Amino acid sequence: MKHGHTFRVGRLLCYIILILGGITSVLPMVYMLGTSLKPNGALYEYPPKIFPHLNVITIENYIYVLTKEKFHINFINSVIVSVSTIILAAAISTSLAFCIARFRFPGRNLLFGIVIGTMIIPGTTLIITQFELASFLRVINKLTGLIPFYVAWVIPFSTFMIKGFIENIPREFDQAVYIDGGSVFTVFFKIAVPLASPAIASVSIFNFLTAWEEFQWALTVLNDNAKRTFPIAISGFFGQHQFTQWGYVFAMSVTSLIPVLLIFIFFQKYFIAGLTAGGIKG
Amino acid sequence: MKMRAVRKLLAVTILSAMLTFLYACSTQDILSDKPQKDLPQTTLDFWHHYSAQSPENEILTNVLIPKFEEENKGYKINAVSHEWADLHDKFIISTSSGILPDVARMDIAWLPEFHKMDILVPLDKEFSEFESVSGELLENALNTAKIGDHYYALPLNTNTKILFINKQVFADKGKKAPSTMQEMMETAKELSGKTPDGKQIWGLCEPALSGWNVLPYIWSFGGDITDETYTKASGYVNSPETAEAINMLKELYKANALTGFNSGDIPMTDGFGTGRYMMLLDGPWKIAELKGSYPDFQYETANVPGGKGGSVSVLGGEDIAMLKGGNKEGAWAFMKFMTASFAQEEMSKAGQIPVNKAALESATVKNASFSPFLNAITTAKIRPPIATWSEIDNELSIAVTKILTEDADTQKTLDELAIKLDALLSGR
Amino acid sequence: MDLKTTRNRIQVFLLLLPGILMFSIFTVYPIIKLFVMSFYRWELGSFHKQEFIWFQNYSAVLSDEVFRISFINTLLYTIITVPGQMILGLLAAVLINSLPRFQIPFRVIYYLPVITPWVIASLVFKYIFNTEGMLNYILYEVLHLTNRNIAWLDSRWSGMFVTEILGIWKGVGWNMVVFLAALKSVPMELYEVADLDGCGSIKKFLYVTLPCIKNTILFAMVMLTIGGFNVFTSIKLITDGKPLHRTETVLTWMYYKAFRSGKFGYAAALSFIVVVTLILLAALQFRIMKNRNEEGFI
Repeated sequence: MKHGHTFRVGRLLCYIILILGGITSVLPMVYMLGTSLKPNGALYEYPPKIFPHLNVITIENYIYVLTKEKFHINFINSVIVSVSTIILAAAISTSLAFCIARFRFPGRNLLFGIVIGTMIIPGTTLIITQFELASFLRVINKLTGLIPFYVAWVIPFSTFMIKGFIENIPREFDQAVYIDGGSVFTVFFKIAVPLASPAIASVSIFNFLTAWEEFQWALTVLNDNAKRTFPIAISGFFGQHQFTQWGYVFAMSVTSLIPVLLIFIFFQKYFIAGLTAGGIKG
Repeated sequence: MKMRAVRKLLAVTILSAMLTFLYACSTQDILSDKPQKDLPQTTLDFWHHYSAQSPENEILTNVLIPKFEEENKGYKINAVSHEWADLHDKFIISTSSGILPDVARMDIAWLPEFHKMDILVPLDKEFSEFESVSGELLENALNTAKIGDHYYALPLNTNTKILFINKQVFADKGKKAPSTMQEMMETAKELSGKTPDGKQIWGLCEPALSGWNVLPYIWSFGGDITDETYTKASGYVNSPETAEAINMLKELYKANALTGFNSGDIPMTDGFGTGRYMMLLDGPWKIAELKGSYPDFQYETANVPGGKGGSVSVLGGEDIAMLKGGNKEGAWAFMKFMTASFAQEEMSKAGQIPVNKAALESATVKNASFSPFLNAITTAKIRPPIATWSEIDNELSIAVTKILTEDADTQKTLDELAIKLDALLSGR
Repeated sequence: MDLKTTRNRIQVFLLLLPGILMFSIFTVYPIIKLFVMSFYRWELGSFHKQEFIWFQNYSAVLSDEVFRISFINTLLYTIITVPGQMILGLLAAVLINSLPRFQIPFRVIYYLPVITPWVIASLVFKYIFNTEGMLNYILYEVLHLTNRNIAWLDSRWSGMFVTEILGIWKGVGWNMVVFLAALKSVPMELYEVADLDGCGSIKKFLYVTLPCIKNTILFAMVMLTIGGFNVFTSIKLITDGKPLHRTETVLTWMYYKAFRSGKFGYAAALSFIVVVTLILLAALQFRIMKNRNEEGFI
């Protein structure tokens, strides 16, 4: 019985640690939510409060952000950019990963070397020459000035992860298709894509986040208010004349966080499945 | 299970793509740049730094632009707001990509730098009307747009900084707005400290330590940063008068009576509106900001406290300039519109001080909230109108920050600064 | 698989084509261009008369005081946040993995910071760490742990500390998920064998779990090191390099030099130094892990 007792104490301890960690994870978000519900003048009140008193709660910040600021335009821009990025990145990296995993073609090692090499180089280091490229391609101040660059940033990691997953698919499946007279395309669409779908899904979630929250490139490339993605719109509220309307900033933040949260909760169980059998394995 | 994952993902992706597409079609053309109107329209890009949520921006988008578009059929204004510092960077970035707006509102201090970057159109060379248009505007304001023999912009608005004080606290403590720098220092120290409920209070707030912030003190103390012709800094930026001004700021900072320029400080308007900062020097927009965020807050204004050099504030303001490679006719039409008395009078309602002579005579302007500023403008000085100003400003702010926050020796730091500025002024 | 038929060769080529185009245009070309640019005097206002200046940009970068500060800041940021995230993430993963139920709620909660965009997280942290902000109020007025409000954001070390805390806070969830995936792939039989040998949970963790997930540890370490060098948004929004460029990191300083001062040649040389550093670091990490591999883990 003694064993069972320590077991229970251990479990309790385990819950306590996890709950404490959980509180640390969500506390800043609760603070943000609380601040977004305060009237604008009350943000530097003294003493500071995490959550406003119930009778001063106001949704004026949300009304302002959603009606006056046309925040939905920025939001839609972000959706366009992120969705295009994940579709293109999934298509391109799956086909790259499939070829690298399955075939020996001239330059295969070089290509894989480039994949690994560019994974190591952070996107921001290339910002100067990528910006020059963007001006050459005449995509400055356009959403199309974001999408291909985001795709290029996320392809290495995606390819690497999906390749690991495809390598685990038994080659006998391919053979069976070839014997039936199938082509490379048949194998790709009938075997590789369906079987690698958990990995594709989980890298797509990573890619979605990358594109959804990217700040610096969008700040550099986009000019017009109507073209800005939401991180740029939010930072635009920050520090004008040394004057930050935190209520608006946080109301925008909460609004933009909700869809990501829903997507993640919706997909979270495929997440681990996709990672387990993919590049990350023991 | 695996198929379900991909099917779900696909369903959500397609759904959101469709929604986006529908939305994009139903409201406006987000992806394309072409307006769908039947009239052939030219879009003029106008960049400015009216804050996104400011009354100026509201007047611009709701009154001025619709009126301009109605009067000038065929033109559409695409107004783009950037934060002040971001706008400067945006010009650098856009010059390197060659994609500039047609017309822009810019800080008068940037004009020489942008002229050197060769992105501004000389207006008097380009438009025969220039004489008559510029004749309507204040001459000293127009001079901010003159570089060498040509005019590269039209003045749009002018401003300066005056002293704002917390009326309630000053009355409670039986204080009056300080009229000399010495008084200001004493008052700031006296009003600083802790309130009974534990709040820290500062006598004076400065949101940064750049030229715009420290020059009123330097000038009022009788100091300067360069000579009259902007060719030499030694003997000016390290003069005893300049050192005295900086030492006052240093003493106040050490006494916990001055703050606002650190990253972690309460922003100026919020700190003033919630009674944490007792005094500050700022421009006419502060009135509108306070009205917006702290409508019940009571304050008073006064001239910048005087010293050996008099009461000298810093002259600010914006010009409207035309960028190379844009639509010149359209940009010129918009510039004329923005500097004419209608637009100038409208903008004065949001605290923008007009530069149009007719607008200055109008009743709206006479009764405007910025009347205390009009007096200060006559004695205010401009920041050096030179191409290297951004770099000089940067060096100045680094030196002053070192003196205040790191206790660097004032004279020694200013001597070093003088050498650096001399090099910048002489063009290396 | 050998590509015997022409049809299959064409199909493989077609599958590779978009990826190769993407890489060559958007990644390889910019890298080569960056390399070339770093040898030229390439400044705003002199775009059309670039001058080949050998290693002058590199020597300018290496002798620049701010670059040295920013490099050390970046290195410290990486040294602090990478193990911080990995240890906490691994701890969370092990604990969550041991739970008979409630795994999913914990997974979601711990992942929340990861899906919070950097812009938002940075603004929240700036607001919390303001000198007159919530944290100081709690430390000083409520708990009396400090004798004054600490100016967190206004000195080099504490300003960097705030961004490091943010980096760890935001990264634990990613590590948790990655390690959870790895833990689920450790064969149960190994634990059963360890049980038979009478190993306690700590011994099991050291001798069974860790060796089994060491590839994941290496993977996470390399990815996080890259992430550490990529730190940008949080610095830009929280301190913006203040005071006196003491809290710059390599990339914020590169961006400042390029897009505020217009010194593109300098910035290109700086970028290239970062790229080379990262490649060396990644190689070093692989080497160390490989040696560990031969000796057995820990």
